[in-house]
Amino acid sequence: MLSRISYVFREMWASLSRNLTLTVAAVVTAAVSLFLSGLTLLIQKGFDNQLAQWTGGVEMIVYVSNDATPENLQLIQQTLEGQPTLIEKVTYCDVQCSVDTAKRLFAGDPTTLEKLTTETIPSYFKIVPVNKDDQVMLAQVATSVRSLPKIQRVATPEKVIATLSTLKGVLGMWTVVMSVALLFASVLLIWNAIRTAMFARRREIEVMKLVGATNWFIRLPFMLEGLLQGLAGGLLGGGLLMVVNNSWTSTVREKFTSDSGLTGFVVTGSTPIWVMLAMVGLGGLVGAIGSATAASRFLDV
Amino acid sequence: MIRLENVTKSYSTEVVALREASFEIDKAEFVFLVGPSGSGKSTLLRLMNRQEKPERGAVWVAGRNINDMATSKVPHLRRNIGNIFQDYKLLTNRTVFENVAFALEVIGRSKQVIRQQVPAVLDLVGLSGKEDRFPHQLSGGEQQRVSIARAFVNRPLILLADEPTGNLDPGTGEGIMRLLDRINKTGTTVVMATHDQRIVNMMRKRVIQLDRGIIVRDQTRGVYD
Repeated sequence: MLSRISYVFREMWASLSRNLTLTVAAVVTAAVSLFLSGLTLLIQKGFDNQLAQWTGGVEMIVYVSNDATPENLQLIQQTLEGQPTLIEKVTYCDVQCSVDTAKRLFAGDPTTLEKLTTETIPSYFKIVPVNKDDQVMLAQVATSVRSLPKIQRVATPEKVIATLSTLKGVLGMWTVVMSVALLFASVLLIWNAIRTAMFARRREIEVMKLVGATNWFIRLPFMLEGLLQGLAGGLLGGGLLMVVNNSWTSTVREKFTSDSGLTGFVVTGSTPIWVMLAMVGLGGLVGAIGSATAASRFLDV
Repeated sequence: MIRLENVTKSYSTEVVALREASFEIDKAEFVFLVGPSGSGKSTLLRLMNRQEKPERGAVWVAGRNINDMATSKVPHLRRNIGNIFQDYKLLTNRTVFENVAFALEVIGRSKQVIRQQVPAVLDLVGLSGKEDRFPHQLSGGEQQRVSIARAFVNRPLILLADEPTGNLDPGTGEGIMRLLDRINKTGTTVVMATHDQRIVNMMRKRVIQLDRGIIVRDQTRGVYD
């Protein structure tokens, strides 16, 4: 068993070094495509952060002072829910929920985030109106709510939110299309690299088959070679993504103010690490698919 | 050891390589397959190690119908069959020792077995002392000996040789035949396709003659014509 394992790895390294140019090309293509795929995920996450409060048809947010009593909150909720012809749904986000949202919204602005503690942050009600296009009705609801006690402010979506939503859809679609196309190119390039490696060793493969080596034993070094190329591409692409994300985060924090509208586009915490790990995994998958199909397809000599 | 029953093999509707071939080869027999180019000799050898499958008929090797054999079992069949070729099929980037060891390595034999069996078989074929040479540093006859060593190192039941003396001068060819004869005397069945009239006449072994895919003669202790 040990001799088999050592043989498989020795042959894999030999083949990798013999086809260095193709190996590098396959790894770089995989890295670029995986970088773009990861970037797509991070951009989508940025948009999600930015639009966090306005998803699910929410057209109005009523912010309540931190010092509001349960009676105050109950009154506000009853007032809102008492208008079923105008308001379809009311959702309350308490102080802790508000802090969590702020963490996403102000990820790129630690100064603002520091000020938003459980003692200072307002809780809020999200409102889904019956007819979101009826501006007169929305103004009527806003006026009726503003007069209630402990209301800090009533926010309605601005045009920028609608623009962001559209942009998210368009950008999301095209980056996904591009990533899929590049991932497909990576699979093809790894497939081609393995095919070339098998062609270069066709005499050995022929002899191996004739002396009774099993197909799996012949395939394995080639499959591992492709897997390694994919993983290397994933590591490289994921690493590049981390560098770019860190650079973007520090640029936003240092060069832009919290009202620039860019702070929500900063993705921090565990998300970038998970995205990077996903890219490495995806790289491995791309390599495995490319090499497995090539190794099965071209084994006959 | 080998039995063919009404075997027909064609590569297209016009090219029929073998027609209704039937014969039986016993254990430790030495058999020459003779006939002009395209008569079906190589096809017969390829059918015996399951490189080809016939359209009709059955090929039995070591008591098993290898046509019905699952693809996953074919490697195990081939471990019992050594193959020798006219062009040697040696790996040019490996030494003599490595070429022979390769046959054991890829079927998972341990380093200890390789260290024991490779020198022994190199000694048998007369290549002791040349273990570290590369194929291009050897003569044609020596390269063929390496090829024979590789085919025999796993002590197969059968040796299939396709024109093993085709690229060699008569003297060297005779040396190769003496070696195959010695291997045959250890109990290994040898089936050899050849055009070499002189060698067939010299060896006086069983001769199966083919003509356009048909067996036209099967003679014990026969000659070429």
